[in-house]
Amino acid sequence: MADVLTPGLPALARHMVRMRLALMRHSLRGDNASNLYTAVLFGLVMAFGTIAVAVLWPAHLPLVLAVWLCGWVFGPIFAGGGSEALRPEYFSMLPVTPGRIAAALLAGAFAGPAPAVNLVALLSLPVYGWRFGPAGVLIGLAAALTTLVTMVMISRVVVALIGLFVRSRVTAATVGIVTGTAIALCGNGWAPAVALGGADAASWSQVLVRVLPSGWGVAAVEAPWPLALAVLVAGAGVIALLLAVWASLLSRRVVSAARGGVPPRRGTPRPFPATGGARVVAAKELRAWWRDLVRIQLLATAFSYAVVTPLLLVTVDVWILVPFTGLITIVIAAASSANLYGADGTALWLTLMTPGAERADVRGRQLAWLLIVGPAAVVLSLGGTLVSGQTWAWPWTLGLLPALLGGGAGIIVLLAVTSLVPGTDPHRRGGNPLSTGADETAETGLAWLVLLAVPATALPAAGAVLLHPWAGVATGVLTGALGAWGFGRIAYRRLENHGTDLLNLMKHGPPLKADKPTVADLPVRHRIGVTICYAIAWLPLFPQGLVPMVMKIFGVEERVWFLALHLPPLWQWPTIIFMIATGLLMYGYAILIPMRLGSSSSAIR
Amino acid sequence: MPTHQEPALRTTGLRKAFGDHLAVDDIHLTVPAGSFYGLVGPNGAGKTTTLAMAVGLLRPDAGSAEIFGVDVWHDTVRAKGLIGVLPDGNAMPERLTGREVLTYLGLLRGLPPAVVAERADELLRVLELDSAERTLVIEYSTGMRKKIGLAVALLHAPRLLVLDEPFEAVDPVSSATIRAILRRFTGGGGSVIISSHVMALVEQLCDQVGVISGGRVVAAGPLADVRGAATLEDAFVDLVGARTGGTEGLAWLTS
Repeated sequence: MADVLTPGLPALARHMVRMRLALMRHSLRGDNASNLYTAVLFGLVMAFGTIAVAVLWPAHLPLVLAVWLCGWVFGPIFAGGGSEALRPEYFSMLPVTPGRIAAALLAGAFAGPAPAVNLVALLSLPVYGWRFGPAGVLIGLAAALTTLVTMVMISRVVVALIGLFVRSRVTAATVGIVTGTAIALCGNGWAPAVALGGADAASWSQVLVRVLPSGWGVAAVEAPWPLALAVLVAGAGVIALLLAVWASLLSRRVVSAARGGVPPRRGTPRPFPATGGARVVAAKELRAWWRDLVRIQLLATAFSYAVVTPLLLVTVDVWILVPFTGLITIVIAAASSANLYGADGTALWLTLMTPGAERADVRGRQLAWLLIVGPAAVVLSLGGTLVSGQTWAWPWTLGLLPALLGGGAGIIVLLAVTSLVPGTDPHRRGGNPLSTGADETAETGLAWLVLLAVPATALPAAGAVLLHPWAGVATGVLTGALGAWGFGRIAYRRLENHGTDLLNLMKHGPPLKADKPTVADLPVRHRIGVTICYAIAWLPLFPQGLVPMVMKIFGVEERVWFLALHLPPLWQWPTIIFMIATGLLMYGYAILIPMRLGSSSSAIR
Repeated sequence: MPTHQEPALRTTGLRKAFGDHLAVDDIHLTVPAGSFYGLVGPNGAGKTTTLAMAVGLLRPDAGSAEIFGVDVWHDTVRAKGLIGVLPDGNAMPERLTGREVLTYLGLLRGLPPAVVAERADELLRVLELDSAERTLVIEYSTGMRKKIGLAVALLHAPRLLVLDEPFEAVDPVSSATIRAILRRFTGGGGSVIISSHVMALVEQLCDQVGVISGGRVVAAGPLADVRGAATLEDAFVDLVGARTGGTEGLAWLTS
């Protein structure tokens, strides 16, 4: 007799939670663990910041919660598909209805650090409710729970929708453009709001952030109790609706055969160019970009973010960023192509087995990246500078453009071989085309590294422009060429000598016996110090140090939130220098302490 | 200088540990030039790890490997020019079609474009992959992936083929084709190493056999010597010290 017992929902949910926790426990080794600590610590800082907002500036609470919602919606798209430790495909043969599977998977989805951190942030609701008496606290607590579930559900539904409906280049590019625009709005959305409404903007944006699901909790706390109850019931209804939608999307995903985000094709492909070396690799790479919906989507995100951000500021008649549209494009596009070798998985074996192919492989990838990003960056830079009428920007654009293009082409291949994040081989990925199976925290960390490293390659050119405008152009061309050539050379040398290590990192994961100690092995106080430094060192260095420096050099009058510019002139330069020094010291500490540990690991162990 | 007197492959004391698990422990193998060598062993015996170390895809903790006398880990480029490899389960350039994969790799190896086009055409036709002209490798079935992997291994006309499980998931017709190709290859002076679970197949194809179990070589030599009077399957079960299970327990499975 075949057993026809079906597990009940509570049992199923319990098993999912256990399975998820077991998977997490097994993946928490070495770098993964330290990445997780960093992410959780950073999240907790933000969560307690949200609670502080509820206490000190309650008027801004709905807006801050809307930012959390944005994180849940766009985070997975940008960082690679959302956590898919429990793939729906694993459970497709269980004799259970899709609704129950979805509910149980949802329970599993909560067994992770992100929802816990978000719950801490949502405790801002009962804290806010305290102003309205004990009932406010109670309603706040209930709203915190429904809001948490709603946010996680919305995130899952968005990922599922994209997984199912991104089947062509047009839909992939559309999702990318929407994502890029949304991220740009999160950063500079205030500009069009100010432009549209002036003083009125405050009132209607207050309504907007309460209408979003993230703001219902605040609305419920503020409302008289019958209305509050109605809002909570409506929240529960939305959760039920989202769950039903998710269940049906999941069951369709499990039976859909499409794999790997391949766009539909017509006709026989164009023949390969009869060439060799780097150029044939570039031809392969260009085909790979054009035939991978994820890469198309990430590129569309990068381009739309870079184009929309300056345009948002144009609405308040600030043209300062328009000449730099192309430069922003280069940096963001580099960040989204940081894990080049990790994305291809174990296909690296073919490069390693072809005599002398490592050099051609690295140079070909650089060439392909330059062909994809370069022309658009050049057109956007020249066009942006012309249209904006900011003639002072010419030396900057012309100097930084070659510096960033060359630096970007160098940095991406260098980091691709030195900081590879292993994922799942493309042909073994599940039904979610966005997910590479790689550790998202590590991939995001790699993208941040590119965001820091690529602009750093343009610093010599920037310095030269300050000395003499046209010296900057020469320096930019020189450092760009040097960056692309030199970093590429280090990359292929490393591939020649350590290619098999990279291959086996992708095939078997990180070695069980950690050869070098990681941040997780540091003494606790250093671990906390290094984590904090990595998390916030950018703050003094870039926005509070380098940016006000540039603004002061150009005599830009706006003070925005740059501390130095709010101080009396006498103190401005010392503050800027102090901030830059603090940022550099923090990075130095965060980088040097683990290195020192690495060189004296035997003494510590 | 590689000569025909040198064995096609010789491994000396290969060893590899993953964490605490010793996957391969002191493997000595000699594959004579011109032979068809079968490497057999139970699941997890270390076949794939051994072959990966022998061709230069996995760095051994100890020991060395030579291809026609060329040290794989010291004279890497020259050794790689002599072999064609089909590893088990590795990715390919997934977003190319079969023809594009062959064209790309041929050109990357520096073969003349006309030669690449001609060989790609023949390989695709013989392996019956030419009907899937517009299918990307990522959309291939497991059997088709094996066949395009074999075509990649053959493309540059190597002197030694190292094939990890070449017949797994391949349909009977294609399997017969592959066997015929490999026989022709050895007939023309080439050497082949395959790993397999299918004893009948190894018995039918190979003239040399190596049996590994628990990361060690338990028997190696000409097929007739290894199997003795019995079949290879019986000799294998005997050698790896396994007893065939499946007769006890599982009482609940009866319907």
